[in-house]
Amino acid sequence: MKQVYPLTINGDVHEVAAPPHWSLLEVLRYGLGLTGTKQGCDKGDCGACTVLRDGEPILACCVLAISQQGHELITIEGLADADGPSPVQRAFDACGALQCGFCQPGMILSAHALLARDPDPEEATIVEALSGNLCRCTGYTKIVEAVRAARDLREAKVFADRADPGPFPRHLPVAHGPPAEGFQVIGSRGRKADAIAKATGAAQYTDDLALPRMAHGSILRSPYAHARIRSIDTSAAEAMPGVFAVVIGADMPTPYCVIPWTADEHALAVDKVRYIGDAVAAVAAVDEDTAEAAVQRIVVDYEVLQPVITPAEALAEGAPLVHDHDWKGRARRDNVCKTVELSFGEVDQALADAAAVVEGDWSYSGSTHAPIEPHCAIATWDPDGRLTLYSATQVMHYLHRELARVLGLPPDRIRVIQPTLGGAFGGKSEPFDLEFCAALLSKRAGRPVKILYTREEVFYAHRGRHPMDFHLRIAADAEGHITAVDNDIVLDGGAYHSFGLVTTYYAGQLLPGPLRFGSYRFRSQRVYTNKPCCGPKRGHGSVQPRFPLETALDELAQQLHLDPIEIRRRNAMADGERTINGQHVPSCGILQCLDAVEAASGWRERFGQLPFGRGLGIATSMYISGTAYPIYPNEMPQSGVTVLADRSGRLTVFSGTNDIGQGSDAVLAYIIAEETGALPEHIRVVSGDTELTPVDLGAYSSRVTYMAGLAAQEAGRALRGLLIEVVAETLQCDPAALIVVPGRYVLASDPDTGVEVADALRMAEAKLGTPVSRSGGYRTRELGGDYRGGTIGASPAYSATAHVAEVTVDPDTGVVRIEHVWAAHDCGRAINPTLVEGQIEGSVYMGLSEALYEDMAYHEGMEARRRAPGEHDRTRGLHLGPNLLDYRIATSLDTPPITASLVESIDPGGPYGAKEAGEGPLHPAIPAIANAIHDAVGIRLRTMPFTPQRVLAALRQAEGA
Amino acid sequence: MLRMPEFEVHHPTTPEEAVALRAELPGSMYVAGGTDLLPNLKHRLHEPPHLIALSRLSGLDRIEQDPDGSLILGASTPLAALAGSELLAASVPGLVEAAASIAGPQHRRMGTLGGNVMLDTRCLFYNQSRPWRQAVGGCLKKDGDWCHVIGSAKACVAAQSSDTVPMLVALDARLRALLPGGERRELPLLELFSRDGRFEQRHTLPPEALITHVHVPSPGAGHRSTYRKVRARSAVDYPQLSIALAATLEGERCTALQVVIGAMLPQPRPVPGLHALIGEALTDEVCEAIAEKAYKAARPQPQLHGEPSWRRHLCRIETRRGLQQLRSGPQPR
Ligand SMILES: Cc1cc2nc3c(=O)[nH]c(=O)nc-3n(C[C@H](O)[C@H](O)[C@H](O)COP(=O)(O)OP(=O)(O)OC[C@H]3O[C@@H](n4cnc5c(N)ncnc54)[C@H](O)[C@@H]3O)c2cc1C
Ligand code: FES
Ligand code: FES
Repeated sequence: MKQVYPLTINGDVHEVAAPPHWSLLEVLRYGLGLTGTKQGCDKGDCGACTVLRDGEPILACCVLAISQQGHELITIEGLADADGPSPVQRAFDACGALQCGFCQPGMILSAHALLARDPDPEEATIVEALSGNLCRCTGYTKIVEAVRAARDLREAKVFADRADPGPFPRHLPVAHGPPAEGFQVIGSRGRKADAIAKATGAAQYTDDLALPRMAHGSILRSPYAHARIRSIDTSAAEAMPGVFAVVIGADMPTPYCVIPWTADEHALAVDKVRYIGDAVAAVAAVDEDTAEAAVQRIVVDYEVLQPVITPAEALAEGAPLVHDHDWKGRARRDNVCKTVELSFGEVDQALADAAAVVEGDWSYSGSTHAPIEPHCAIATWDPDGRLTLYSATQVMHYLHRELARVLGLPPDRIRVIQPTLGGAFGGKSEPFDLEFCAALLSKRAGRPVKILYTREEVFYAHRGRHPMDFHLRIAADAEGHITAVDNDIVLDGGAYHSFGLVTTYYAGQLLPGPLRFGSYRFRSQRVYTNKPCCGPKRGHGSVQPRFPLETALDELAQQLHLDPIEIRRRNAMADGERTINGQHVPSCGILQCLDAVEAASGWRERFGQLPFGRGLGIATSMYISGTAYPIYPNEMPQSGVTVLADRSGRLTVFSGTNDIGQGSDAVLAYIIAEETGALPEHIRVVSGDTELTPVDLGAYSSRVTYMAGLAAQEAGRALRGLLIEVVAETLQCDPAALIVVPGRYVLASDPDTGVEVADALRMAEAKLGTPVSRSGGYRTRELGGDYRGGTIGASPAYSATAHVAEVTVDPDTGVVRIEHVWAAHDCGRAINPTLVEGQIEGSVYMGLSEALYEDMAYHEGMEARRRAPGEHDRTRGLHLGPNLLDYRIATSLDTPPITASLVESIDPGGPYGAKEAGEGPLHPAIPAIANAIHDAVGIRLRTMPFTPQRVLAALRQAEGA
Repeated sequence: MLRMPEFEVHHPTTPEEAVALRAELPGSMYVAGGTDLLPNLKHRLHEPPHLIALSRLSGLDRIEQDPDGSLILGASTPLAALAGSELLAASVPGLVEAAASIAGPQHRRMGTLGGNVMLDTRCLFYNQSRPWRQAVGGCLKKDGDWCHVIGSAKACVAAQSSDTVPMLVALDARLRALLPGGERRELPLLELFSRDGRFEQRHTLPPEALITHVHVPSPGAGHRSTYRKVRARSAVDYPQLSIALAATLEGERCTALQVVIGAMLPQPRPVPGLHALIGEALTDEVCEAIAEKAYKAARPQPQLHGEPSWRRHLCRIETRRGLQQLRSGPQPR
């Protein structure tokens, strides 16, 4: 029963009509449409829902709306005034503190409240004040900078000219460097196109949308790690008033997978459930309460089966099979999903001849992406049978294809729209049950249907970092040259395939570089287990093997009495070299990266010389800039960009890319600005909509800046050529006599004579007709090694990174603290240094958080004497904490200062020389920390995460030895 | 979003009215800041048909000092007010440390002292969503008959996880409660807790009891206190174990000492056998002997994250460090 009561929000009195059990968050978002306040956990763990109550930050998800009468509430929408966004909002924008932006309304309100009570806070005070607001993108570095800038800006009153909140106002004093030499835009610290929309709460994320008559969906999930479904009775749910539709697996019998030929997953389980949380049935109902109640009334008859929880169990003789059949329908005999064995050079010989060898077992724990925005999808059908699906996805194109397949619908009748995305990191890079279910439920219900994952469901959807076990051997000659690497890898894949075969290859194929291997062999095997499915997380498949490699290399250096940086220098690859497995690396700035972190960290004076308990560690990495081959083989370009000129003076860029917070829309705008001379503020980017844009394969494998960037460059160049010709005709000069300056085409000999870009657009339209438009595309060249699998891991360009981490280790408690990380990254060319730094800082953050705190841990079962009475041990396969309180991601207080430096090797193939920046910089974090722990207290940790328990156990073992 | 059960909300303005409502409405529950109760309702750990909001009770949100130096803390006092109190920092700094260590800045503004004292016990098998708990068939504390932590059908070992409770127990705090019919009761805080972690059984007071105040006896000259919290990350994290220490030092000599272990079992656990050491100077040897007693008294269970053996080891380390801190001051501020 609804109750009506007044609430004062942003100075307005609202007559709220809502049931009394609604939280303030629910009333704000769903009752009043004040969707700037975000929801990331709905139970007090994340801070995304922060609002101000009588000036103080509180969590809207943990208070009842009805109890807030009499208070003054301020939401992010209320922070801007008639003059425009507040100083804090503008400072966040100007400093590049906003990536996906999902945490930011809450963060900005916390910052605002801090500055209101303490106008001149110390850095430590800022960090503490923000410690209840989790951010998964930024590493908090630029956020803290922004709070300081807000203070400075407010005092200096530099926002006098606040009437212009346009996308790229030039009057912002912070973070605006000049462009790189020879460029107009490239290399400058421009603002992100969507930043101010995110900072003010105006940006619309999927769950912020509401369609008329929209129903809410909820999904029933398996309580068993492994069971056969005998029958499902949905009649009681269907009979409930307010329930519109119920669907089960049999309604969508076509299997799917992001890799089309390894389809082993169903929208809803058809025969078996394979992990606790596997989807079984879905309901659409008039509201969330009814949907959840209906889900509870679905009766499923299960035949409970023995689950396999660890790879060892899964590989044991006679183990129960997770899948009875493979994707070709053949009966399976074991739980092996994929095995890859490759060998390059004379590994055994090199091992036999080596001056030093390190050999051992390492284990990398699983971790998940934990974007602050939970997955959400809204489906709606036109009366003529066309489906529109809004989804928080990072691979709209693949989702489009799989929707067509599972729903049996021609793809041209499907439109996928990606609204603003609240973080992804690989966790939204394939289709999920909620998208299919929303689509079918909406069709059956005859009205739009929204499904929003709970935070717990995000953990079950997972597709995060595979746990991997390694047996690695590495050998070197007396000078420290790596002569052999031999790695045996077992990947714990969880219940389904996902990108499995790619991951299995990547675990081996991406290791050789930026350090040269004399010979290399790996055997990589992915195993099915009854747990949520693993997949690609930032640094897909290749973060894990860097841990054994880079820590073993440190041991090797120690054996050979070499400085750890020196041994890496001796093995550093050069521009244009090929890796031992045949990948061509056009540019490699690893030496400059090593130099940069060595100098910045004071390595020479400090490594090996710090007091007991404090230490430095180094590690390196390399990563791809997109994969040469798309997920499904085809001859079409990987990316297309169209620029359309409008007589208003605006250029619209159409691209099927997915901006997931990394700023790809902004990058496309900078490139078009650079090429055409149009000012960035006159450029609009339309992306994330399959109906409006040429295809781009999506935001994965660090491909967007490189691939869509080249497509945009081609489109922009073509448009400029056309415009210059038109202008030359008007000015009656040779086109070659004209040059581009910001906003104008002018005579090189007489820069005062020229034409505004906007006028040139109108001239072109008059001369050539409507529309004035040009397109560009990106196709990959033939790349990769000449052997089976040689193309997997082949990329047109590779980044390089080096980190130095400084840690302190408390030898009594085992607690590790990271004091500082210096990260140098070769991104080829920084199209916008602020964005690149943001990617580095965020990567370092994510890496250190998984090194120390994160673990996708599952219950492996009770000892017999503690087991509950009954036939099955139902603890097996339970996730030990599917929420943001028990799955601990680092808070601002756990995150050290991060110093990012850019190395620009100017790649010969990339746009302006650019290559990737989003994933490579994560890899070295884990081994650099492990190596620093060794420098601090002399122990070698080979199991992650580096918990105090593990550190202490290793210290005791070292003492005993 | 997560679904709470449907309920009605009442907003009494006096403690008497609140208690009367609570007694009148069967199955009703009090809600103060809501930071413990709302997540628990969203997990469907309770399904109360009525909530009695304490946010409009007047006069219970003050920190006052009696002429004898003892402190009267209103149950509605926000944790942030405890953490920011000059008065407390000067007299019982350990309580300030404890309050400041709770969750994150927003929780400390919302959460109250009363709610923190009455915080439900916590366990890996309990603080989970309804579907998660259904997957394991419930547990002794909720919807089941088996404690998966210790493998027993008899005892629930969900941990008392409040940060202020162990500190307040070390400070010999007393609880003041109002009961139906206007009865007022005062009891040593330690006596509130039973050995059984189940919701209905965890307290010795009747469920209608409304906590109105916490009374902390006058700290007196030479009084020192400190709170040491073990947690995996630096904010928004419940204790995995904690050590609260309060002592009176006369010169070198320690004339009173309380060491209380929190986040271990349903009850806070005062370390026994310390009287033998009373009157001694806090030398390194004495500190070590006390730390050893804390270690011996510790029985952490695998109901929280963090290996029990490590948490037990930390009892020793944190007790020793806490004592060293008490010894060296600068306390009280
Ligand atoms: C993410 C997160 C992290 C947290 N971390 C910590 C932590 O580190 N340490 C910690 O101690 N707590 C932590 N908490 C719990 C909580 O924030 C605090 O314990 C807080 O003090 C609870 O107070 P409250 O007013 O919000 O209680 P409420 O949620 O309103 O109430 C809690 C319980 O106490 C009862 N109650 C409240 N007031 C009274 C009264 N006056 N008389 C009788 N019964 C009453 C309620 O009925 C309810 O059962 C955390 C919570 C969250 C969500
Ligand atoms: S949504 Fe409120 S704290 Fe996460
Ligand atoms: S910008 Fe903070 S979570 Fe994305």
